Amino acid sequence: MSETPPFLERHQFLIYRLFSLAGLVPVGAFLAVHLLTNASVLGGAASFQSRVDLIHSLGPLLVPVEVAFIFLPIMFHAAVGFVIIANGMPNVGSYPYVGNVRYALQRATGMVAFAFIVWHIIQLHWLGAPLGGGQFDPHYATSTAAVALQPTWVTILYAIGILAAVFHFANGLWTLGITWGIWTSPAAMRRANVISIVVGVGLAAAGLGALGGMRAVDVEQARAVETWMHEQLERQQPPTAEPAPVAAARKED
Amino acid sequence: MIRAIDGDALRTGDGRSRQAAPLVRVRILRQDVAGGESYWERFEVPHEPNMNVISLLQKIAAAARTQDGRRVAPVAWDCSCLEEVCGSCTMLINGRTRMACSALVDKLLEENGGEVELRPMSKFPVVRDLVVDRRRLFRSLERVQAWVPVDDSYDHGPGPRISPEQQQDAYPLSECISCGCCLEACPQFTKIEPVLRDGESDADFEARRRQAFDAAFLGAHAISQAMLFNSHPTGGMIADERMESLTGRGGIQICGNAQNCVAVCPKRIPLTRSIARAGRAATVWAIKKLFDR
Repeated sequence: MSETPPFLERHQFLIYRLFSLAGLVPVGAFLAVHLLTNASVLGGAASFQSRVDLIHSLGPLLVPVEVAFIFLPIMFHAAVGFVIIANGMPNVGSYPYVGNVRYALQRATGMVAFAFIVWHIIQLHWLGAPLGGGQFDPHYATSTAAVALQPTWVTILYAIGILAAVFHFANGLWTLGITWGIWTSPAAMRRANVISIVVGVGLAAAGLGALGGMRAVDVEQARAVETWMHEQLERQQPPTAEPAPVAAARKED
Repeated sequence: MIRAIDGDALRTGDGRSRQAAPLVRVRILRQDVAGGESYWERFEVPHEPNMNVISLLQKIAAAARTQDGRRVAPVAWDCSCLEEVCGSCTMLINGRTRMACSALVDKLLEENGGEVELRPMSKFPVVRDLVVDRRRLFRSLERVQAWVPVDDSYDHGPGPRISPEQQQDAYPLSECISCGCCLEACPQFTKIEPVLRDGESDADFEARRRQAFDAAFLGAHAISQAMLFNSHPTGGMIADERMESLTGRGGIQICGNAQNCVAVCPKRIPLTRSIARAGRAATVWAIKKLFDR
């Protein structure tokens, strides 16, 4: 009767710990960097564009880096997360304690954030018009993002998605500390809770600030700033860096 | 309609007139056999001052009549010590897991609009009425070897000294009464109720049950007991074996940090502290296993 348990069960501890770690690094770290980068739009179109340019300076390496450090870890975290959700039985109705409500919210926000991320990527990458708003163009970062976020319903979905992701990360930070045994006493858990609340409120402010900042952008003006920035960049480049016809073709884009 | 009121109920302690005591309404989720259908029945019991749920159940069993006077089989339940030490009378009282012996009827009536509702624990198979089969709870304790391994009768001399600080730390964990409240309230601990298959021998059925138990979550009580015995100088001699169980299938990793266990524990055991300490020990253990082999 005693057969070897399936692979996933034999390595359950390792998988769950990797799941926990992935939530912090790289997924959580990416969320923080992503929201703070986007919040730079509050400093003007040029400020946001220069940060986008910095990310895109990875050139051909950008997509492999995104796949290895963002896409695959999110998919792993989500896949294990759905298994965890399927095996749990929330009981907030019978035991309406704060910790239990947070347990249920952690699972709900995980699912909401995952659905949002899927839509967010498809909307900004490929199906901008049919899925609301428009596509994102890293060369015209502020203006295209601002256009994509104009419809009210898109803004509302983004606000929900951002808040779900931020709650999931901040609350997850707190539970991660218990899982790994960083904070063990009830007093230490309370102190750690304050830290996770500060992180959560800070990131929520950054995320919603970015959203509000994008909506407040004057699209025409942003476009002018972006065009001017590209011209400046091209002038700085040595003439041998790129043949003239290619540069001209890009200008026409 | 006959309402069974015996002599006890008419005796009033404070010497007031011999009026019939007000009736306590009780709703019980009953089940005749393991795996059978469950159904609700209502009872009425003469109120007595300072009644607890056990005395309520004793009166219901004695009368064995429902509210509408129908004779029924007495309601079955488990209890023993009546002072929150044996851990056997856990049930869902007004929807919340707790010990029947320390649940006072007057308080229950207040919190539930004048009625007491009793259900068997939902995370263990029902044997009959309010009696459940808690074998899995004890199997979890076996899985983490929740004892000090002294297996012979030789005189090994005095054991190692334990500092008062260590005693202070360990004592609350030793108060666990294996009542199962932490498991009942845990959203990560779900019911396992294997059913005997056609032609399956008792031994095969038992082996299958054992296998299902061993793949499933240990529960807060066992994690806490593992930490108690790992912190004991003699018990700690098999600390590695306990860590192996804690990081095995259904181990510490299944905890979802809802922290209901600590909220419902009748003995106020710092279960979440034990779980976090087990998490830390598991972190260290995993690193050791990876690099020390």
